Amino acid sequence: MKSSRGRSPLRASVTRAYLSLSLVAGLSLLAGLPARAQLPTVASINLCADQLVLSVADPAQILSLSWLASDPEESMLAEAAARYPRNYGSAEEVIQVGADVVLAGTLTSPFTRELLRRLGATVVEIEPETSLDDTYRNLLAVGAAIDRGAEAERIVAGMRDRVDAIRALAPNPARNAVVVRPGGFTIGRETLANDLLELAGLRNDVAELDRWGSLSVEALLRADPGFVVITRYRMNEASLANAFFAHPALRNFGAEHKMLAIEARQVACGAPASLDAAAALVEQMAAL
Amino acid sequence: MSPSSTTPRQVLLTSLLALCIAALAALSLWIGRDGGGPGFGFGGIEIFREIRVPRTVVGLLVGGTLGLCGAALQGLLRNPLAEPGILGVSSGAAFGAVVVYYFGFAASGSLLLGTGAVLGSLAALGLLYALAGRGVDLVRLILAGVGINALAAALTSLALNFAPSPYAALEILIWMFGTLENRSLSQVWLLLPLAVPGCLLVIAAARGLDALTLGEDTAGSLGFPVRRTLWLVIAGAALAVGATVAVCGVVAFVGLVVPHLLRPLVGYRPSRLLLPCFLGGAALTLAADIAIRLMPPGPELKLGVVTALIGAPFFLHMVLSSRQRSSE
Repeated sequence: MKSSRGRSPLRASVTRAYLSLSLVAGLSLLAGLPARAQLPTVASINLCADQLVLSVADPAQILSLSWLASDPEESMLAEAAARYPRNYGSAEEVIQVGADVVLAGTLTSPFTRELLRRLGATVVEIEPETSLDDTYRNLLAVGAAIDRGAEAERIVAGMRDRVDAIRALAPNPARNAVVVRPGGFTIGRETLANDLLELAGLRNDVAELDRWGSLSVEALLRADPGFVVITRYRMNEASLANAFFAHPALRNFGAEHKMLAIEARQVACGAPASLDAAAALVEQMAAL
Repeated sequence: MSPSSTTPRQVLLTSLLALCIAALAALSLWIGRDGGGPGFGFGGIEIFREIRVPRTVVGLLVGGTLGLCGAALQGLLRNPLAEPGILGVSSGAAFGAVVVYYFGFAASGSLLLGTGAVLGSLAALGLLYALAGRGVDLVRLILAGVGINALAAALTSLALNFAPSPYAALEILIWMFGTLENRSLSQVWLLLPLAVPGCLLVIAAARGLDALTLGEDTAGSLGFPVRRTLWLVIAGAALAVGATVAVCGVVAFVGLVVPHLLRPLVGYRPSRLLLPCFLGGAALTLAADIAIRLMPPGPELKLGVVTALIGAPFFLHMVLSSRQRSSE
């Protein structure tokens, strides 16, 4: 995670005000005086950063979220996100929001990040989460960036407790499974989805990939795993990706295998609600 | 483009195009984009200077460069299908940028991305010279360009196949459609020192291009330095078009359609076509970018998509009217 100050003075006055407020807050803390400085405001232009902000921030801090945050297929926290103004990532609309901190992804267009910095915004970049540890790290980083460090630590501690609770219920030793994402993609080892799968006591049988990759019909038939995990994404919209299981060779596949399902949004970004995917897998296995 | 060859008709057309660009540039500076779709007004001084001016200047220069290079290459290759990407320079530049994305360097900034694109276009140029450099065989030049295009496109698809994440793959795709979204003064400073000399090199070859309409052999026997003209145009176009890809990706259609639209108005001498095509390309690109900002709220449309949507009806109309003329 990187953070840098912009060069332009557009919002320097706000930033100065914030800096002096933090200074005052720091000094009064040193003096042992109770102080409640105004919390910094935040805007996010990245779906995964949206999830982190919604988890960590005080609602009063959030000025704007990306338009994907309120899409229930993309976002775990769509309902909460719908309360806030949405942005489409154009520098002009984001800068007019006037937030103290702008959260972007490391894969957000470099042009956007550079222009926001030129305009004086404090841009904090969030790396995509590829594990639960990444999720903890990013939650703490967002907490630090918006003065909610204590809340972030509380949330991470809660997640760790829940991880222990899920692990206690998960089958041991791990069972074989194969994850099928829309379009016949599967997940690789170094992904958040794989972390959650292992937490639920499952091992992705065909994951010889590091990140993500495709799964052929043939590989699926040959693998013959104990469980098949579907990641559901826009299932009632027509797409070639969702027609994967319509392949004639896979006609009986569903009946012959134990099918489990999680939501694609739960593993696309890391947040406390991502653990719902692991909990759901354990629950579904127990019910079979 | 010596003054003696200028006709009143050409002066009129050029002034009209210049007026048109002035109006479009003013609109482009006036129309912004906020959460509710298009926003009207010049914004604050910071928004004007850091967002509106760079976007307008980049749009103008990119469109102008593509129009000019398209006209020069159609003249040079005497091929109506020639466009700035025909020699493989655009796809080479796009592959250079994609390599930067692929290895994750894009996180470190847009300058690296631009450098990757410029290096990609120069590599394509070097390959072109190695394949077709010695002679002045235009057919071999086109074939070499087709080969380089195919190679760069295949390598780009390969990078897409092995993209580190679906998000990186999406960024690569966006690069292939071109966009002016969130471009800043940094992109102006990258574009100016490459696109302007590139365009000047092409313009320096204007007389030679006129001579080449008689064929390489005739032009050579009349004492025109055919090989020099050839490589002035190619090197200039590579530099300038590579720079446009470096700042905004591959913008389709402008370089192909603008020379065709303007040729009936200025006549068939390549040298007379260059300046109007620069202006026409700039006008088309600015108009497309304004249309993008006038769309209802949502993610921005890609520039290459809109230039094609605006340009295609003109192009089809032209094809239709030329058929009517030939059947009369």
